[in-house]
Formats: sequence, C-alpha cells, structure tokens
Amino acid sequence: MGLSTLNNVRVAGIASCVPKRVLSNLEDCRPSQRAERERLVRNIGIEHRRICQEWQCFSDLALVATERLLDELKWGRHEIDALVVITQSPDYLIPSTAIILQDRLGLEQTTIAYDVNLGCSAYPFGLHLLGSMIASGAIKKALMLVGDKCATVRDPLFSDAGTATALEFAEGAPPMHFDLNSDGSGYKAIILPVGGHREPFAYHHCIPRRDEHGDLHWPADLMLDGVAVLNFSIQRVPTAVERTLAYAGVQMSDVDYFVFHQANRMINETIRKKLRLPEQRVPSTLKEYGNTSGASIPVTISAKLRQPLQNGKRKLLLGGFGIGLSWGTCILEVTNACIPELITV
Amino acid sequence: MPTLDAFLENFLVAVDFQEAVEVRAETKLADLPEWDSLAALGVIVMCDIEYGKTITGDDLSSCVTVEDIYKLLGL
Repeated sequence: MGLSTLNNVRVAGIASCVPKRVLSNLEDCRPSQRAERERLVRNIGIEHRRICQEWQCFSDLALVATERLLDELKWGRHEIDALVVITQSPDYLIPSTAIILQDRLGLEQTTIAYDVNLGCSAYPFGLHLLGSMIASGAIKKALMLVGDKCATVRDPLFSDAGTATALEFAEGAPPMHFDLNSDGSGYKAIILPVGGHREPFAYHHCIPRRDEHGDLHWPADLMLDGVAVLNFSIQRVPTAVERTLAYAGVQMSDVDYFVFHQANRMINETIRKKLRLPEQRVPSTLKEYGNTSGASIPVTISAKLRQPLQNGKRKLLLGGFGIGLSWGTCILEVTNACIPELITV
Repeated sequence: MPTLDAFLENFLVAVDFQEAVEVRAETKLADLPEWDSLAALGVIVMCDIEYGKTITGDDLSSCVTVEDIYKLLGL
C-alpha cells in the first residue's frame, strides 16, 4: 500500500514542551574532548540539547503541552474521543502510558487510549492512524502525544521533548496524502538490544567496559550504526518525498514548508540538497533542540512556524524517518491552527 | 589525472579534520590521525552528493588507501 489519502481531517493545533535543563555539546564534555567536540558540533549541527530532570518522564512534558493546547483551543476534556501516545520511553513497560494519561488529563473513561511504539518516524504515522479514525467517522476529536526521553549527558545527538497535536473532523477539510513505509531488515541499525524478551536483562549486562576517553559503556546501551542510518536516510527520504508529491499531484513549489525529522545536520542537509530545496523553506531546530526523536517535527513547527501556521493557509510536507527502519511522508494543509509558544518546564 | 585531484580536494573537505594533513592517492586511511566514523560519514555524503554514488559501510571497510575509495566511484 504505502500511499493513501484521508479526507475531512483537520489539524486544529500543535503544542510542544521541552525541559528547562540545557546541555551544551561543547561545554558539557571532558576538556580533553573539546577539539573533537568542535568538529562534531560543526558536522551534526547540534549545539544545545534539553534533558529531563531525573524524576521527569516524557509524559510529564506531553501532559503540560496537552493541557496548554486544550486550554487555548477551548476544547472540553469530555470532547476527546481518542488519545494515542507514540513513544519509545513510556512511563512503564506496561501498562500503556496513554491510559495513565487518560486519567491524569481528566478525560472520559470512554476515551480510546493506547500507545504506539515508533521513534523518529512517529509523526506521519500518528497522523495517519488518528486521521483514519476521524476520516472514517468513528470519532470527532483526538489527541496525538509524541515524544521521548532520550537525552543523556554523553551522547551528543538526542534531546528530550513532549508534544501534543489536536485533530478533528472537519467536513470538506483539504485531503492529507501519505506515503508510509517499513523495512524491518534494518532493525539493528538503531536498537536497544537488552531488556526485551529476545535478550532479557541479566546480571552480566551490568558490567561496563571503558573506552579510550575513560567513558563507560554498558551492553544494554542504545546501539546506533551511523553509516547504515545515514545511507538509509539520504537514499529513502528524498525518493519518498518525490513519490508523495507525485501521488498528491503537488509541485515542489506549491509546498510552503518542508518539515523533516531533525536527525543531524549531515543527514538533513544532504536530504535538502538532493531535493534542491532552499533553506528558507526547510526549518531546522537542530542547533537549539537537537534530535528530539519523534517530537522533532512538532517541536520545529512550534519553534519556527508558529506565526505562518496561525494565520492563513499553509501547505506542509512532513517527513519522519529512523528507527525500525521506518519512514513516512505526509502532505497536508494547515489553516489558522492553534500553535502555543514552545513551553519550557 | 584531474578527476583524482578533484576527488582528493573533495575528500579533505568531507573529512573536516581539525589538523591540516597532506593526503595523496596512496595515503593509507589508517595513517590519518583523525580518520574516524565522522570522517567516514562525511565521505559517504560527499560521494552521494558530488558523484551520485552510494557507498556502504562494508565498501568503506574494504578500502585501505584514499584511492581505494576513489575507485569505488567507478569513474
């Protein structure tokens, strides 16, 4: 399948929340690593990141974003028919974080609530999932909460954020076009290898090794094959963008903004150059907010596109890609949406 | 051989070493002090953007010298 269209679905609003704790990729490293870090920052384009307090979960950020969005939209809690959380850092392994949030947000017990396990590609897939429920006529109003708690002091890429997107049934709303893809043969490219049922956590996973800088690495740490992820991203994403545009019958020049998952500068700039897109139409938040996993598209919208999306009609192309491997594109129109200022807690 | 010279220039830009080094076709990658995963990613991007050629991690692992990477381009 891959390609599909949904009608009568409107994005009513998007809110994003990041932690107040700021990490500097240049300052917060060993002095001996400074020169290496300067070169790294130049290439990945990430100067600062946000990291949760130890006690904070992704859901705490998403909760704040949701409450702000509902208040500004003036939507009643009783109006929400579905709440889907897309994260890879749930509060607990079980039960679903979405169900806990149903109660914390004061939503009705008739709310459909569950989690979806997707990372950097989450946003277009989530729009398709909830958009399908709405387009079918089954529900009228829904919330999609996307984000992760993925930052660590040592890793220079990842940053924490929680976001909320409000979707509603709107007769005659412009169509949303999707291209959604999955390639499980690449599942090892980004993986937390330990803690699931293939390799349950055991005593020997607690024994770290020390690298040449003196940093400790545990067998249970996230594994990321940089070359595989780079090649996947720069080969698959431009092709998918062109395929979605052709399917939707939309010219590149008709799209006001191309909002891609913020992976790192090397990947995002290569995608932009291959598509011959001008920088002004490809907003980036890598420098200030790093790679916020599935939240990076809404975070970029909140930080960079607030004014244009609040006033008038804008055509967007959204591109999420990463862990899975999984990649999705969505072309949609956003009209007079509610976009609160980026929230910091 | 102008295309090889141009490749060597592109190579040096792509690897973005902090310290200037001289690179020739026969230079061994392992002898370059800053040849690392970041440099490898830069070279892969350069090969894609400048030459339209996809280089995999295995391709790069099989290269001993800078010229070995150039040969992967099949120019």
